[in-house]
Amino acid sequence: MHVLKQPHDDGSEPNPDARAGDIPAKLGRAIVITSGKGGVGKTTTTANLGTALAARGARVALVDADVGLRNLDIVLGLESRVKYHVLDVLDEQVTLDEALVRDKHNETLFLLAAAQSREKDEVDTQKMRDMIHALRERFDYVLIDCPAGIELGFKNAVAGAQEAIVVCTPEVSAVRDVDRVVGLLGNAFRPQLIVNRLRPAMVKKGKMLSVEDVNAILRLPLLGVIADEPEIIITTNKGEPLARSRDGATASAYHAIAARIAGEDVPAPAPEEAKESFFGKLGSIFGGKR
Amino acid sequence: MSARKIVITSGKGGVGKTTTTANLGATLAKRGHRVILIDADIGLRNLDLVLGLEKRIVFDLVEVAEGRCQLRQALIKDKRFESLSILPAAQTRDKDAVSEQQFADIVDQAAQVADFVLIDCPAGIEAGFRNAVAGAQEAIVVTTPEVSAIRDADRVVGKLTERGMPMRLIVNRLRPEMVRTGDMLSVEDVREILSIDLLGIVPDDEEIIDTTNRGEPIVLDETNRLRTIYDKIARRLEGETIAFTSFDQQGFLGRLFGALKAG
Repeated sequence: MHVLKQPHDDGSEPNPDARAGDIPAKLGRAIVITSGKGGVGKTTTTANLGTALAARGARVALVDADVGLRNLDIVLGLESRVKYHVLDVLDEQVTLDEALVRDKHNETLFLLAAAQSREKDEVDTQKMRDMIHALRERFDYVLIDCPAGIELGFKNAVAGAQEAIVVCTPEVSAVRDVDRVVGLLGNAFRPQLIVNRLRPAMVKKGKMLSVEDVNAILRLPLLGVIADEPEIIITTNKGEPLARSRDGATASAYHAIAARIAGEDVPAPAPEEAKESFFGKLGSIFGGKR
Repeated sequence: MSARKIVITSGKGGVGKTTTTANLGATLAKRGHRVILIDADIGLRNLDLVLGLEKRIVFDLVEVAEGRCQLRQALIKDKRFESLSILPAAQTRDKDAVSEQQFADIVDQAAQVADFVLIDCPAGIEAGFRNAVAGAQEAIVVTTPEVSAIRDADRVVGKLTERGMPMRLIVNRLRPEMVRTGDMLSVEDVREILSIDLLGIVPDDEEIIDTTNRGEPIVLDETNRLRTIYDKIARRLEGETIAFTSFDQQGFLGRLFGALKAG
């Protein structure tokens, strides 16, 4: 029986040379993808980063923590292959091996689906933590797709993670929610930021927050910026993550973020400049909050 | 005459519940109704921001529930609409700070001094959802034409059906040009899956992001087409029968059956 560890106390890094079939010598990294606000792109980000990390040869497990409202299976196009889910594993009905669904395209990418017809309060936090640890013994990366909100589902999603990626859209409400989540996470998770759905043309017109505006409030290490593209909606509906290809700016951006997660010194995309800053507005919200 | 108590919900986050609540509330107020908007997203409130009222918050919903102030003290009047006010959620508390019974009591209190009480539900189907639904008599389900949003909405429709709650659908952020090219589900597709009555179709509008960031509901903009669309939604809520705007699109199922009018 393993002893549960605090985040980072083992100092483990994934083995960048791990290939399919290899058992990582050290524990993999468990990273929760979170945001507070819903609909900012957590699931899409999880699917694409998982795909991009697996394309690098890493063994990746994607865990859908949104019990009752799962969607990661759809975004990956694996919904018809899901037989068992997280709660089946936690209830010891099936083994991890039986519940993990291998991706159709990526040998080293696996999905552990959430239960659709169960409730979040059926998840035992300690068991969830143990399960994530068991996954870390077998995978280089365990990406946990967190549900919206900061209720029990959030707490369970975060339980086994050591690191956090927070996804934020350039909207005041999303920034406020992310700020709250970062506060709840504390420093232990070393949260890093992905700004999602940026529309550079709107930023130029002063109609959208710039990456600087967002990060002037959040002050987090910037992992990457993803533009708002109709392709995202299309590929999500079709269950084919964009990052399966390397063509196009958005797919490249996901691969660059994956490289940065893996520790490569790839520059973050240059953030757009806003002509008219929203900073005054943001300052009033965050400066004056109760 | 007692007030209509309507929860705006979706399951999935980020589909436009708060924006819908703000714009529909503003439109109903403009039409002369007394409207109270309740932000049920304790811990992650945003309705105050979308209406630009964040600096005027003194008390919140949790303080009303705990009896530390009167409902009327916590209500913030939106001066642009006279008969519109909001009850903000607490930002630094958890959803379980208020029980379903306490929530329902607050909605009932609000209903005594309003014609419409609109409850802005948090994302998900946890305690926050159960609270938001507790005091409502009817529901507006908001979804976007995306597979994941529809799946979540379907789950919520199931939960509301269990409660015997009447509900109607708003399809939000429709991009007619993407429907035409077959890259987005059409309104009929969505309705076919969820099989609940349609209340409105709101096209995707870039301006929403900007107006939301600025705390000015888009229905304040007299030139924006969404103003007319929300006006029709408000009139349908009042009981009027109004034909749906045709966005000249037929979806996959629409093409298949050919009969239904396009959104």
